[in-house]
Amino acid sequence: MTRGGRVSNLRVMRSVRRLAFVALTALALAAGVRAAEPGRWWSPGDGGRLPAYATYANDYGDLGVLNTSGPIDTKGHPFFEPIGGNGRACVSCHQPANGMSLSVDAIQERWRVTKGQDPIFAAVDGMNCPDLPAGDPKSHSLLLERGLFRVFMPWPPVRDDGAAVEPEFTIEVVRDPTGCNTSPRYGLKSGTPTVSVYRRPRPAANTKYFTHHNFGVFPFVGKGPLATARDAETGLPTAMNMMADARVSTLKTQAISAAQTHLQFAGALDDARLRQIVEFEGQVYSAQVRHRGAGDLMEPGGPPGLGVRNLAAGAAGVLGNNTTQWVFPVGDVWKALTTPASPSEAPRNRMRESIARGHDVFMFRTFWIRDVQHLNTVGLGNPTKRTCSTCHGMHMTGMDVANGWMDLGVTNLPWAREEPLNPWNERKPQMPLFKITCTASAAPHAFLGRVIYTQDPGRALVTGKCVDVGSIVMQQFRGLAARAPYFANGSAGSLRDLVDFYDRRFNIGYTAQERKDLINFLSAL
Amino acid sequence: MTLTPRRAAVLFLALLASATTSAAPGQHRSFVACPIVRDTSSVPCWLAEYEGELYFLTLQTDVSAPVNPPQLGHQVLVEGVATDEPRVCGGIPLKPVVLSVLPEIDHSCSTMLPAEDRYNLTFEPPRPPGPSRGRLAFDNAPPPARPAAEAETLPKTFALQYDFDGTVAFRHAQLLQQIQEAALKGKATHIDITAYRTASLLSNGKTLTEREDIGRRRAEQLAGLLKDSGLAAVAYQLRWQDAPAPDGEKDAAARRADIVVRGN
Repeated sequence: MTRGGRVSNLRVMRSVRRLAFVALTALALAAGVRAAEPGRWWSPGDGGRLPAYATYANDYGDLGVLNTSGPIDTKGHPFFEPIGGNGRACVSCHQPANGMSLSVDAIQERWRVTKGQDPIFAAVDGMNCPDLPAGDPKSHSLLLERGLFRVFMPWPPVRDDGAAVEPEFTIEVVRDPTGCNTSPRYGLKSGTPTVSVYRRPRPAANTKYFTHHNFGVFPFVGKGPLATARDAETGLPTAMNMMADARVSTLKTQAISAAQTHLQFAGALDDARLRQIVEFEGQVYSAQVRHRGAGDLMEPGGPPGLGVRNLAAGAAGVLGNNTTQWVFPVGDVWKALTTPASPSEAPRNRMRESIARGHDVFMFRTFWIRDVQHLNTVGLGNPTKRTCSTCHGMHMTGMDVANGWMDLGVTNLPWAREEPLNPWNERKPQMPLFKITCTASAAPHAFLGRVIYTQDPGRALVTGKCVDVGSIVMQQFRGLAARAPYFANGSAGSLRDLVDFYDRRFNIGYTAQERKDLINFLSAL
Repeated sequence: MTLTPRRAAVLFLALLASATTSAAPGQHRSFVACPIVRDTSSVPCWLAEYEGELYFLTLQTDVSAPVNPPQLGHQVLVEGVATDEPRVCGGIPLKPVVLSVLPEIDHSCSTMLPAEDRYNLTFEPPRPPGPSRGRLAFDNAPPPARPAAEAETLPKTFALQYDFDGTVAFRHAQLLQQIQEAALKGKATHIDITAYRTASLLSNGKTLTEREDIGRRRAEQLAGLLKDSGLAAVAYQLRWQDAPAPDGEKDAAARRADIVVRGN
């Protein structure tokens, strides 16, 4: 072999080694991310490390979960340990792979894997009613089919100071498919009168956006009206933007409440554990980071509002506009894409353009927003010709900036999902139905009056006010791809269902292209 | 076209009819009607018809606007002064105007008129129908540093204006905050609230009277809100009374509560 040949061979070998190194490094990096995941499902007490950054696959691509304070040692951590009496931890219903919420797919998978023994199926709220037969999927149908947990509310409502609220309405059970509202033990006429409603767990991530003290947080709330709930520790008014009904308003009080109810924790969580939970929830972010069609959502020079790192860096408590800080900053970078470098990039570019168009549908496509209590009644007029971003206006999340409850029609008839009965249809209504009759002296619901049929009275179960019947706090848009179904009552099984609800509710008349673009945009958040 | 005696008579009658139905500039108009939405190429206009004349009430703007639009599904009490300004969206502008959405539902109030070129606005609306921009955009600049807390000089008086038959509304949150801050800064010991029940003399000579208990409800609601906002230790004196007889001009102004924040 000549020297030249040896050199040549050496070069080839070096090249092969270099290629192998690059490939192995890439594999190791990829494997490292995956290896760092303790599995897609976090069981209470798993004890592993939640990485600083991990990705989880979903139908639309990958969701990223970012811990800005670094890896979390979950051993002994109260968010991850089964601190209550039913074996659950906070993580049971706030799974990283599901955007710190819980998808119905994951619930069904847990049923299959554990044969219904996972703590999420605990009788207290993972069953339609605790007195139903154990082990029967029918007893858990709302959880298995719509991802809904039972939320049990005292009736009449009780204020934080323990005083009873005198409600402005009576409540009757019209339909009780779960049996819980007419149960002699758990129902409205039991010894401890209780109303059972069924709601989705919300993402325990991106929390700075709904616990901020910035724009829109004042000492008084015009909706209702009421004095704003204050943080007992700081004395400051809160955003009142948590949970479906804003019944608690800080991460700490939410943790206390959830531990006592959902985790069946007897006693009081000590300050150290509460602090750990609040600190964890204050630093964890989740958002879609890779889109099946559009590719990397965090690549340099990409849309500045997409991806979990941009989300973590965003300003909280800002009302979006279209001049300085858009609700979801996407810029124009995906609007004028150059000719793709390779044919394989063409579909990716088409999807990116679709997402950019979907953003514009969200931001600029006007329609008549009509008959929404706490939206059309707050000074905008009824109807108001506006866009999705009118209500979903908070920079980076699409929530309201504060006090974001309104009656969109998700739980109140005539707009709530209700299939007319007929003798040839074996499907039966899943949700309870209540008849609300407001007193003559009460201010009526502006668009439904004094007799309202509802699947969930929402905020009215906290305030006792007729005007609050069916009002639900709107949710953030981030990580939607990982956590179907949508709306507080899980009535939209997919992003298509979600968009169709609005199209039907407001007679928007989306074109097929607009609908497709909007869904693609939502799936990239 | 020649003006025949017959045509002249028709024109005279039309002018006479116009003179009897249209409000002269400066004339107070007070009436209850269904609001009408007329779309334009930008934001919709809000109108109401009274005695065959169309009045322009307001434009769709934002919650912070001095006049908020009414609501379809409800009648509106219009209390305003006719102007000789150019018509907007076909209606005579009323300025100033106070609009009260009546609480009970009226499904007959459902008129939405489509956009027509002849009714497009001849000026830029304060706020477009989409996200805020231009002069109304929130620039999200950090709020100016609050001046050092100064002792509030008490007593201090506030007046809160209500819609007809209305209690505290969304737009009142800012004024309530001013009252609360004055009480906190001034270390208030007493808050006196006097709320009024009013009537409105309508342009047709009839009188529209608020519900009987509205004065008490207004006073008690204000006290409850202030107590819940951290002013529970303050002594409250509540009064409610009927306002003087309506005159068709100052009735909206009388629909109020007076709040006096006092110290020792």
